[in-house]
Amino acid sequence: MPQLTWIIALIPFFPLLGFLLNAFLIRNERQAGLVASVMVALSFVVTIASMVILASPLTGQPRLSVMLWEWIRIGSFRVSFGFVFDQLTAVMALLITGVGGLIHVYSISYMRGDIRPVRYFAYLNLFVAAMLILVMADNLLLLFLGWEGVGLCSFLLIGHWFERHSVPPGIVPADAAVKAFVVNRVGDAALLLAMAAIFSRMGSLNFFPNQQLGVPGYLERAGELAFTNLDLGTFGAIGLISAITFLMLIAVTGKSAQVPLYIWLPDAMAGPTPVSALIHAATMVTAGVYLIARNHTLFANAGGTSGWIVAIGLLTAFLAATAAATQWDIKRVLAFSTISQLGYMVVAVGLGGYVAGMFHLLTHGLFKALLFLAAGAIIHGTHESQDMRKMGGLKDTMPTTFRVYLIGALALAGIFPLAGFWSKDEIISHAWFGAQNPGAAILLMLTSGVTAFYVGRQIALVFYGKQRDNTYHAHEPDSTMRNPLLILAGLTIIGGLLNIPGLHFLATYLNPVLEEREVVYDTGRIIGQVALAVVTLAIVGGAGYVGWYLYAKTFVQRIKLGKDDPLVRYLGDLWRGAEIGWGFDWFYQRIVIRPYREVSLFLGDVFDKQGIDGMLVDGPGRLVGRMAQSLRGAQSGFIRSYALMFLVGVVIVLGYFVFRS
Amino acid sequence: MIPTTYFVMLSAVLFTIGVVGVLIRRNALVVFMSIELMLNSANLALVAFAQARQDVGGQVLVFFVIVVAAAEVAVGLALLVAIFHTKRTTNIDEISTLRG
Repeated sequence: MPQLTWIIALIPFFPLLGFLLNAFLIRNERQAGLVASVMVALSFVVTIASMVILASPLTGQPRLSVMLWEWIRIGSFRVSFGFVFDQLTAVMALLITGVGGLIHVYSISYMRGDIRPVRYFAYLNLFVAAMLILVMADNLLLLFLGWEGVGLCSFLLIGHWFERHSVPPGIVPADAAVKAFVVNRVGDAALLLAMAAIFSRMGSLNFFPNQQLGVPGYLERAGELAFTNLDLGTFGAIGLISAITFLMLIAVTGKSAQVPLYIWLPDAMAGPTPVSALIHAATMVTAGVYLIARNHTLFANAGGTSGWIVAIGLLTAFLAATAAATQWDIKRVLAFSTISQLGYMVVAVGLGGYVAGMFHLLTHGLFKALLFLAAGAIIHGTHESQDMRKMGGLKDTMPTTFRVYLIGALALAGIFPLAGFWSKDEIISHAWFGAQNPGAAILLMLTSGVTAFYVGRQIALVFYGKQRDNTYHAHEPDSTMRNPLLILAGLTIIGGLLNIPGLHFLATYLNPVLEEREVVYDTGRIIGQVALAVVTLAIVGGAGYVGWYLYAKTFVQRIKLGKDDPLVRYLGDLWRGAEIGWGFDWFYQRIVIRPYREVSLFLGDVFDKQGIDGMLVDGPGRLVGRMAQSLRGAQSGFIRSYALMFLVGVVIVLGYFVFRS
Repeated sequence: MIPTTYFVMLSAVLFTIGVVGVLIRRNALVVFMSIELMLNSANLALVAFAQARQDVGGQVLVFFVIVVAAAEVAVGLALLVAIFHTKRTTNIDEISTLRG
């Protein structure tokens, strides 16, 4: 069925159409939500159809590709505007359109009565289109278009309530949007440099060879260029692949919110909650992991960078998990948790476990979307309160929400047999056995313990005890919001089947793209992996129970609005450090923002006003003016004095000629 | 026959009177008359030299000067009337709007 490959172009087309319709034609809230949801649903259907075509033996190709037009042609620099659809793209597109569709439906109810719902749905559709372009692009430049597109939509949606001066917990949406955009620029600049290096040394930005365009694919050339060096002049030389992958790593730390560029994600919670679920948990932030998986042939040949990736991932996972344990805001807990889980994925792909990373990406997309949407239901049901100190006892007033939240939370903690258990266990066992890196595995297990602790704490604070703020009556969400929650909860329960050890559906499916070695299960490995899983479960169960018990029983009387966490008494500054995200914001404030402001002030007030404007612009004017001032006296306007001058002049000239000889 | 020197001296005296008149009188009309005096002193010198050199060119030039002077007076008096209409004065010291 090669003649049917063009339908993959419809996958991003439908959300784009939805964006255009919502942006230019529709002015009505109901229609906007309906059109947006239907478009994403259509895209989902086309994705399934494309997967069927891809799997069909009649296709006879490793991947579906379609080139819409030649985008750029400057000498040998040729870029196509084309899409590819292989197994890696398929799972990403399935997540984006599937979870994205559910979130669209949820948004219809969540955004009811908002001041600008049509714009919201237009941006949401534009985001889905950009994200699909990102994962379907057949070259790095088109991927970058999607990469920037999702960043733009993130900016627009974080700032959805741009006119509000503060949303809980005291974030200014407009500032948060700008922060997300600016921090991401750092990573984007690195990605541009990586592209320049790839084109200059590999001669193409296309992932795969393109006969129509006559350009090779750079992914296959990674092996032959493994020992090429990039000459940096006075700075010596550096391995080409290492340089490229390191630049890509910087891009990943920006988009996927890793240390040291993670600071924008907690503030991004200023956007509406479904946006947090779709963009800042399930899809956009996983773009970095996708980038590494897509370029895995480069990363496989860059030994130097792998260590950095693993280190950054581990640091992020651990620091963000501790930060999540100290937050009071229900969405901020989930934001830091997302950062931490992204750290897991980055560790996995850094250690070469691309399948494990993708597996965790998928399950995390499911259960974190579920958690965010359930948190949205709680925020909705408690009349826009996000502070967990105002909640408590919601187990009885919101039973359905409690159950789905519990499923998501246990999956996040990694409790058997929910989705998170399988994917997290896959990463830990890959680190220990596959990559022979027990240190990383132990740190990940510790982080799992911290994860379970904050999950237990959050469950206890929100759902157990007594309602601490009695100014509202919590209510359950309506069915438009509840059904997506139930579907996601169901998927979270069975999600582990995707890549269950022994069968490894996902690994088999992704094998044509990622070419990962099949895990050989001898007796030692089985025993080791089971032992690892049991130990992890014990840590997780213990830490989770401690977290729950402390906040549901021991401290329940001491949690008050505006008061510190009871644990501050025992942990002191450690707790305070975690609470501010280990001071990265403070650091940037001191090291980057304040000097930048000072320099800007100097340039604006002193250099520009006095230097450029004062000396270079006004200076010549003043000089001419002053010179003219001294000559003005001669122009008295008295005709007689002019005549006298004239006479004197004539006398002088005549005198000269008379007395010359 | 009166020597040419006398004519030239008279011409110089008349010219000097004209120059002094232009420089010290404030009434625009008198300034005009002084200018005419200077022109005519030059005419006198031209005619005297023409007589002395037996050359008719000098006399022809005098006619040109008279014609140009007539035109100049016509324009100058018209300007003077226009200025008097607006400024109500012929004092040239009060007409100093070109002052820098």
